[in-house]
Amino acid sequence: MNMETSEIADAETEDYRRLNRKCMLSMYINNGIVYAVVLTVFLLLLNFVPTAREPGASPIIMLAAAGMVLLLIYFVVGPRIYYDRYRYMITADKVDVRYGIIILRHILVPIERVHQVEVSRGPVNNMLGLANVNITTAGGVATISYLEIDEAEKIVERLTELINSMLRGRE
Amino acid sequence: MSEQGLRLHPIIIVENTIRTAIALLIIIFFTAGESLDMLIIAGLAAAALVVLLVFYYRQWKLTFVRFGETDIVVERKTLFKLKKTIPYSRIASVNLNRGVLNRLSGTSKLLVNINSGYNAIKPEASLTFEQHFADRLRNDISRHVYSDEMPSFEEVEQVVRFTTMDVILHGLFSVPTQQSIIGAFFLLNSIVEQYRVAVGEVDAGPGGVLISLLMFFIFLALPAIRHMIYYYGFKVHRQGDTIFLEHGLIRTYKTSFRISRINAIRVKNTLFSRLLRRSSIEAEVVGIGSDDGSGNTRPLISLLASDTTTQSLLQELVPEFIYERQTEKQPAGARRVLVVKGIVASAAIIAAMAYPSLLAYRGLSGEGSGIVGALLPYALPIVTALVVLAIAYSVSVSLRVREVDTGEELFTFVNGILDREMVIMSYDRVQMVHVVRGPLARHFDVSSAKVFMLSSTGTSSISSGLFSEERLERIGDIVMERAAAMKH
Repeated sequence: MNMETSEIADAETEDYRRLNRKCMLSMYINNGIVYAVVLTVFLLLLNFVPTAREPGASPIIMLAAAGMVLLLIYFVVGPRIYYDRYRYMITADKVDVRYGIIILRHILVPIERVHQVEVSRGPVNNMLGLANVNITTAGGVATISYLEIDEAEKIVERLTELINSMLRGRE
Repeated sequence: MSEQGLRLHPIIIVENTIRTAIALLIIIFFTAGESLDMLIIAGLAAAALVVLLVFYYRQWKLTFVRFGETDIVVERKTLFKLKKTIPYSRIASVNLNRGVLNRLSGTSKLLVNINSGYNAIKPEASLTFEQHFADRLRNDISRHVYSDEMPSFEEVEQVVRFTTMDVILHGLFSVPTQQSIIGAFFLLNSIVEQYRVAVGEVDAGPGGVLISLLMFFIFLALPAIRHMIYYYGFKVHRQGDTIFLEHGLIRTYKTSFRISRINAIRVKNTLFSRLLRRSSIEAEVVGIGSDDGSGNTRPLISLLASDTTTQSLLQELVPEFIYERQTEKQPAGARRVLVVKGIVASAAIIAAMAYPSLLAYRGLSGEGSGIVGALLPYALPIVTALVVLAIAYSVSVSLRVREVDTGEELFTFVNGILDREMVIMSYDRVQMVHVVRGPLARHFDVSSAKVFMLSSTGTSSISSGLFSEERLERIGDIVMERAAAMKH
């Protein structure tokens, strides 16, 4: 990599960056769909499985109902915490991502090890103009989630450029 | 050799036909079952056999291999054309396998693997030739790949000679401890049941003893026998920068790989092998796939051997993975996290088992006679107490065993409760580092790390115990520093 590219990359991305607030909306919609499915299954089991109405089953039903309440709280509170904590940084050497709701993760991927970069968009993200960037190494995939499409494309372009200049440097 | 190249040995027509025919017969048997009469099934099988023979004959006739100066080219000119070029520079290992059919026909299978996470467990090319010709080809390819010839194990002086007893001990004691305990339980149960039948205490039931014996075979005997057959006649040798392995009773394996292809070394022992003071050594190598599925396993470079032998083997075979270690045990914060987790898990289990235990006590009181009858009502509380004890044991062992060490070029994680392993890894092979902190770990200021690297099965991740965040973040920092140093 020449000095100029390296300096630009460093200058542009020295600090951690945050996600767009739209990520919360995407998560709320996804969570809403998942919760609706889980709730429907729970209610169907409650109404149509005869053993679920027997007195002996009440502790299990109570536990399941408590689980449903906890899941609802997680789905309501989670996106805000996720948004507040999510940070990512791309320098000339590494991709650095910090995120998590209950369990916090710090992911470090040396650019040297990146094999492939791709942009992926699910239906909800597509609707909101968001995308994920999947960074594939020989040891697994790291993802930067809920980026605006332009930002995702820029990151892919920048990573591809960094990888190519690194490969050119090796030659 | 014609201009088009070499044809493989025609035995592959028979081998492929048998393999596909068996798969087809299984499918026909399970899908059609009793709805077809035997005559139709026999007719279908005969027709399938003819079609398969013609298909594989044509595939054999139109498949050619060329061994060039710089690469191997495998070309298939059938309807689905294929031309695969494997440069010698990309080859990670070149191995020989001999199955039963190969032995009967005097052939060997030459397996060529490249260093790739994709398709890691299968060889890039599996080429069957006459045995002597395959040996010669392997030597030729070896000269291209390793600049070295294959050693003859009869001529070289081996660091350690593994005896048949070593193979048997390895087979018996390398089975994971939990699996061994379950297997031993079923064996004991079958003996007790047989005794009760013999003394007339109970009637011979419909297969109670047999089911226990079957479970014993599945959990313990079969894996042990499989290991014994697979590692029979185990030989290991290092020549230059290449490690050569040879083993196998029914199918023989001749494997070789360069030291530079090793991503990590694992020194492993199970609870029972530890009692015998024996450990084995595995190498995490990419590109040693075999089409019989053994590519799913990491190559062993030492069977279970005494701890002193293991140390000398590490010194002789992989000195690149030896360094002055300054290990660190888990800090006080980790102790608190593990104890709190243990208490919460125990409380949850006790709470979950309280009501069923009460029901079991009411239902089983007065049932049975003797010791069994007296213990039966308390079976669930006893099981719960055993689980809680197991949790306490795992917490205490985890505190004692788990270690981390970050050297200059290598780093080490020591893990395990019953089965333990010490993984020595090279920073230069790390693909990705995750540092993870749960709510409890955050409260007590500790983290765990997960290191991702290429492995013989594609990818693998190795987790650490709970240590200070700075200590674990240092792994990622050193990976970055070394990558930057290499770049410049």
